[in-house]
Amino acid sequence: MTTRAVRRAGLALLHGMALAGLGVPGAAALLVVHLAFFVPGFGLGLLPLVPLPILAGRPLTDLVRRLAAAGSGTPLGSPYRPRPAPLEPEADGRYPHHNRLYRHSWMPRFLRLLDWLLGDPATFRDLGWMTLTPAVGLLLGGLPVALVGAGGWYAVSAVDRHWWAVPAGLAVAVAGLAVAPWLRTRHVRWTRWWLGPTQRQPGRLRVWYGFQLLLLLRLLCLLGLSLLALPLAAISAVALVLAYGLGIVVVLPPLIQNLRWLPELRRELAGRWSGVGVESPYLPRPGLPDRRPDGRYQVGNNLYQTERWAAYNVRLRWLVRDPASWRDFGWLLLDPVVGGLSLAAPLAAIGYGIFGLAMPRLWMLVGAKPAGGTDWYASVAGVDAAAIPVGLALAALGLLAAPAVLRGNGGWTALLLAPTAKAKLALRVRRLTETRADATENQAAELRRIERDLHDGAQARLVAMGINLGNVEYLMDKDPEAARALLAEARQASAKALTELRDLVRGIHPPVLAERGLVDAVRALALDTPVRTEVTAELPGRAEQPIESAVYFAVSELLTNAVKHARAARITVDLGYADGRLRIVVADDGRGGADGSRGSGLRGIARRLGTFDGVVDLSSPPGGPTTVILEVPCALSSPRTSIS
Amino acid sequence: MRVVLAEDLYLLRDGLSRMLTAHGFDVVAAVETGPELLAALLELRPDVAVVDVRLPPTQTDEGLQAALAARREVPGLPVLVLSQHVEQLYARELLADGTGGVGYLLKDRVFNAEQFVDAVRRVAGGGMAMDPDVIAKLLARSGRDAPIARLTPREREVLELMAEGRSNSAIGQRLYLSESAVGKHTASIFGKLDLAPSDDDNRRVLAVLAYLNGAAGG
Repeated sequence: MTTRAVRRAGLALLHGMALAGLGVPGAAALLVVHLAFFVPGFGLGLLPLVPLPILAGRPLTDLVRRLAAAGSGTPLGSPYRPRPAPLEPEADGRYPHHNRLYRHSWMPRFLRLLDWLLGDPATFRDLGWMTLTPAVGLLLGGLPVALVGAGGWYAVSAVDRHWWAVPAGLAVAVAGLAVAPWLRTRHVRWTRWWLGPTQRQPGRLRVWYGFQLLLLLRLLCLLGLSLLALPLAAISAVALVLAYGLGIVVVLPPLIQNLRWLPELRRELAGRWSGVGVESPYLPRPGLPDRRPDGRYQVGNNLYQTERWAAYNVRLRWLVRDPASWRDFGWLLLDPVVGGLSLAAPLAAIGYGIFGLAMPRLWMLVGAKPAGGTDWYASVAGVDAAAIPVGLALAALGLLAAPAVLRGNGGWTALLLAPTAKAKLALRVRRLTETRADATENQAAELRRIERDLHDGAQARLVAMGINLGNVEYLMDKDPEAARALLAEARQASAKALTELRDLVRGIHPPVLAERGLVDAVRALALDTPVRTEVTAELPGRAEQPIESAVYFAVSELLTNAVKHARAARITVDLGYADGRLRIVVADDGRGGADGSRGSGLRGIARRLGTFDGVVDLSSPPGGPTTVILEVPCALSSPRTSIS
Repeated sequence: MRVVLAEDLYLLRDGLSRMLTAHGFDVVAAVETGPELLAALLELRPDVAVVDVRLPPTQTDEGLQAALAARREVPGLPVLVLSQHVEQLYARELLADGTGGVGYLLKDRVFNAEQFVDAVRRVAGGGMAMDPDVIAKLLARSGRDAPIARLTPREREVLELMAEGRSNSAIGQRLYLSESAVGKHTASIFGKLDLAPSDDDNRRVLAVLAYLNGAAGG
């Protein structure tokens, strides 16, 4: 061994020792602390205890990370998600968190802290490291030291008894030194695996396996839901007999309403798993009719004295007259048969193919006797050996058929559970009513804002200017100096009024939009954004003016959000048109975590675009990136030279 | 000095015409539409044109388009564009050919007759007159890592005034600095922006604006 190799081995030994010396007792202590806080924290519901050990542990894991990086050359980045953005109150001073508003900020702040820590996989990887490293780290880091120490000690202590104690002891010590670099590399790799940021891509086989497993789980889940329809159908049948046979109609409304969750769930799953979007077909619940002059309520052709009876009958009529209710019943009856059998087929093929044919035959090959005898499986047409290929083929067939079955299940769900043409029309009317209300409300608010801005701004300044000019007239001969000063003031006031009017005009309809259209207006917006913003556009023509305007203000708002909330360093805006839809994608590299249901800005955009049947799609995981897609169905006219 | 004026609002056209005449300009044509403007510019070849961005018949950026078209025919034809709003987009289009003799101002700037006339003269002389609003936006935009960020606050001030098209002595007066001190600042700015120094005053400004133009385009 050369001196350099000895030095390298020595350094590796020391490094491994340091890693173990820091990691092992640290992790053990931390584990104890975690247990001490987590057991009452999760066990007794004392949640405020939970964040403490996690936060307290991170400096230590950071230190270990740095120590591990020192040995491998490449630095080890922090795996933790960035801290959540500071909580900002809504306009009314309350603090939002998920679907609730809080009067004080401490509760949502704590919940966000909890979300942040427990939602971060790195927290649990830290925990895994803590659990395992006392054993593994001790072995990897401590073994070379132990060998060197033991060898040295033996050489010294046993030299009097055996002549070979010195060479044997030295050999052990040298072996310790020799394995030190190799163990150190393993130790660092082990530490990196647990504590480093995870960016490993799973292998192709694992992805395929995971995908198949997910597919089968979905089939299984749907099968379970289909079988669940069986008792519900039975209950419905009993209720229908009670209602129409015995006249106990009271059972109908709660039954119908309470059964809707299953079809609703299946509609959602059809969209998410089978790719067949099925809209909710139910008619909107009508309100109570107005009281007639004679004090009674009219529901259909019946008159009711009391509000309670009227409300009850309104509800009954609403539920019973909705064809979707009856289609739901039909589906509950049929789905266990049609859906259940079709879902069960591929699952049964796979299950029987593998566990009924292939596996037992394989077991029998190695000599084991499958429990329960061999009479009903493990042979095909009397030929035992055929069981393996036939079983595998059956399983493969099941796997191949599974995606088609899943898709087909979506189609089956849509067949009975999708809204009928009439229901669609009713839903459309509801949507139009909503968006129309939004539009008129928006417009009114906009007009109020313009009125206020004009009243408090330009108008007031013009009045002041008029007064000033009057004074100038009066002072012109007597005190020309003072008159000159007033004139300068009047000029300034007019400049200010102009600036205000300019800002106001920009807010109503930006001049670039009027002069150049959407693409150049968005380009101008990008140029005015303090963050590097790239615009790509491919529009074969111009959209209607109101749509251009709505999209322009939406993009403007999104750019502001990206700069202000996401703290992006780069933004891209892409404008495109395909399949009769204007599609704008605004993406930034900021810290993400935007919540569409919370930000009033995004809701505002959705409402404004809703007037044109436009939709907003937000993707903003914590840590970014954020992508917002705006889509508005519209026709494009050929590029216009005139808009007057 | 012969001026062509394009403005569709009678009151403004008349006022501008009076003001320019009072300051010794010769207003050879005062037109109100884009096509008229283009014809007048190509036919009369004025020393400078004062143009409103938005003109009939389309009420879009017809004035700007006519001015750009004329400059394509007659490179370097001095044009001062006026508008109710300033857009970096338009400024970049005006500057794109890099031949100078370009101005882009808010209509408000007309209030200060002396400064406005000064701007018209600078443009007529092949110089620049960019609205401070445009410059401010251009400078605000350049990101953290842009070379602009390396400038000291004083150098930024000098650059802003330079980009508006002012000479060293004018900048010195504005900032209460000696002309040689301004010279030092400009040299330092060129150094930091990797621009080769040149003794031609106008070319310097062009270079700066071209740089800002490039930075904004990023």
